[in-house]
Amino acid sequence: MSIPWTIKHRPKKVSEVVGNDKAKETFLAWLKSWSPKSKNKAALLYGPPGVGKTSLVYATANELGYEVVEANASDVRTSQALKRRIFRAATERALFSSKGKIILLDEVDGISLKEDKGGIDAIIELMSISRHPIVLTANDPWDPRLKSLRSLCLLIEFRPLKKREVISALKRICEKEGINVAYDVLKALAERAKGDLRAAINDLQAIAEGKSRVSVEDLNLLGARYKQVNYFEMTRQILVANRIEQARAVLATPSLDYEMLFLYISENIPYQYDNIEAIAEAYDALSRADMYMGRIKRKQAWGLLPYALNMLTAGVAVIKHKPKFKWTKYSFPERLKLMAKMREKRDVRKAILTSIAKKCHVSRRIANTEILPFIKFIYEVDKNKGKKILRWLRISENNFKLIISK
Amino acid sequence: MCAEALWVEKYRPKTLDEMIDQEEIVARLKMFVKEKALPHLLFAGPPGTGKTTAALALAHDLYGEDWRRNVLELNASDERGIQTIRERVKDYARSLAIGDVPFKLIILDEADNMTSDAQQALRRTMELYSRATRFCLIANYMSKIIEPIQSRCAIFRFQPLPKEHVIKRLKEIAEKENVKYDDDGIEAIWEICNGDMRRAINTLQAAAALGKVSRIAVYKVIGRITPTEVREMIVLALKGDFIEARNKLRELMISYGVSGIDILKMIHREILNPRSGINIPDTAKIKLADTIGEINYRLVEGADEEIQLSTLLAKIALIGKEIGYS
Repeated sequence: MSIPWTIKHRPKKVSEVVGNDKAKETFLAWLKSWSPKSKNKAALLYGPPGVGKTSLVYATANELGYEVVEANASDVRTSQALKRRIFRAATERALFSSKGKIILLDEVDGISLKEDKGGIDAIIELMSISRHPIVLTANDPWDPRLKSLRSLCLLIEFRPLKKREVISALKRICEKEGINVAYDVLKALAERAKGDLRAAINDLQAIAEGKSRVSVEDLNLLGARYKQVNYFEMTRQILVANRIEQARAVLATPSLDYEMLFLYISENIPYQYDNIEAIAEAYDALSRADMYMGRIKRKQAWGLLPYALNMLTAGVAVIKHKPKFKWTKYSFPERLKLMAKMREKRDVRKAILTSIAKKCHVSRRIANTEILPFIKFIYEVDKNKGKKILRWLRISENNFKLIISK
Repeated sequence: MCAEALWVEKYRPKTLDEMIDQEEIVARLKMFVKEKALPHLLFAGPPGTGKTTAALALAHDLYGEDWRRNVLELNASDERGIQTIRERVKDYARSLAIGDVPFKLIILDEADNMTSDAQQALRRTMELYSRATRFCLIANYMSKIIEPIQSRCAIFRFQPLPKEHVIKRLKEIAEKENVKYDDDGIEAIWEICNGDMRRAINTLQAAAALGKVSRIAVYKVIGRITPTEVREMIVLALKGDFIEARNKLRELMISYGVSGIDILKMIHREILNPRSGINIPDTAKIKLADTIGEINYRLVEGADEEIQLSTLLAKIALIGKEIGYS
């Protein structure tokens, strides 16, 4: 094969990047307002593979005149290696362009903690000293290893591309290559790709390169596309399974993070199961699995793990009121997103509760349930009285307003 | 603008003499003060019955006005594990008491929130520093304190406050604060808070902010103290809208910061409260209350709050369907 079409036809302008309009807008606004003093010195573009995260960075740089300095997961990223190359780039002025540079760290979730010791810390340090905007990309930003990074970045979500978006991108390439491809072929390619444009372009190149005309029969050339198993697919595999072995098969996945799997399954039970009986049965199994996990953690009772995993997989799948299979869209564990978003509010709340706890000789928990609600009530019906009490507690009114607002 | 204290603090008895309830306990504590000798103490009893107040008043009477220099106040729910408690006790016990009392006092509130392992460690700490310190442990449930600690402490059981005392105290405060009230309003506070003085006084102060403490004002307060999300969440679940109910749950847990156990308590209260407006047959209520208990048990076993509460919501939805709730 000659140059991969994914590179040959990489978008040169922002307008050529298909889909994810909101993400594009957010990214551009962030980039344009960026300064070394910005609150978010880095943006984390996240989403499944092949939806245009890296392409957007290159297209933007090309159109607006930035120079891109890139490191990706295949580079060795010990903090030493990273420092040498990237730190110099981040602190020096741009060589070739007047606008400046974008430091692109691709696939940060590929950093393995063992091999790239200090990689994450190095990235955080890089953020603090960089004189240029930093862009990170990741498939799974909720990976626990990225926790410390995540809170420092502006998070920009990319969603799988819509079928028509994939088709229109494929069409553009066909035109440029001067190939006549039947619409049904494009449709089938888009279907197979499940929102992954890179996969679709690779498939297209495989069946169309060197030809002037492509028909539906040519699709047979393509084998089933191998895909890395991810938590979404594992969850799907469990929730659609009808037999114990099918559901348990996911346990063979190497380096499976059970706690992540709990979150994904918990999130998606009500999306896959549409009758309340099934939802209740599945949750009951999940909650029993979770209870075993609790005992394992508290009492180091590792002998219980097989039972926990059995309920987590087979228990959730093999239920009395199992609905017929239907394809549904799954959701990221909302809880992880909320936790990240609500962090500031939680910190303020904690500080306020600590003030109350000290003054009233109670725990923060009691302060939260037995005292704060009364203060909130008084503040809402009589601002003046409320303010006086806040003053006595040495709580700033603005902070108080922040935590009582929705 | 001047500051205004919460009445629970403003009217908290400062000395043992000012304490009118728990007479027997107070009498024995006064003996300790007179002798300047103290065993380790364990105060057990329901919320708002004066356990913390008694401990602080004891400290005041023992050490006088600057009692704070001789007292370490810890709360087991807030300290991050036994290790932190140990460190703080160690640092604190290193120096001698100031004045003529030969020991310092460590008040450890909500001690029943410690795991049994942490309590074992606490027991050793108590022994290690018993020459120069005394512990006063405070708990709601005696049964959650391990035997070896119980056996090292003089145990004081605090009883729920009698109705007359609560009502008398509320009226006293209302008069001192120049608050308009009627007897029915005060009665309503008693009905809702029973012997929990903290809740009663907080309710009084909040109702007073409405102008007059009447039954309606009291109901208004209580209706708003439990976040409306709890009721909305239950109703959504009963109607079978599991996903929306779960969104409410997340709002409670994450933006209100309410713990899983506390949410369970609120759901329990809402379901059993005849005024909550949740119309389901009593048989369904019993079934639900039992499920709540089971979920509470699982949480105590160390299970995950969101998963367990989601499970409860699914159960509520199932019951809603069975009884044809709409």
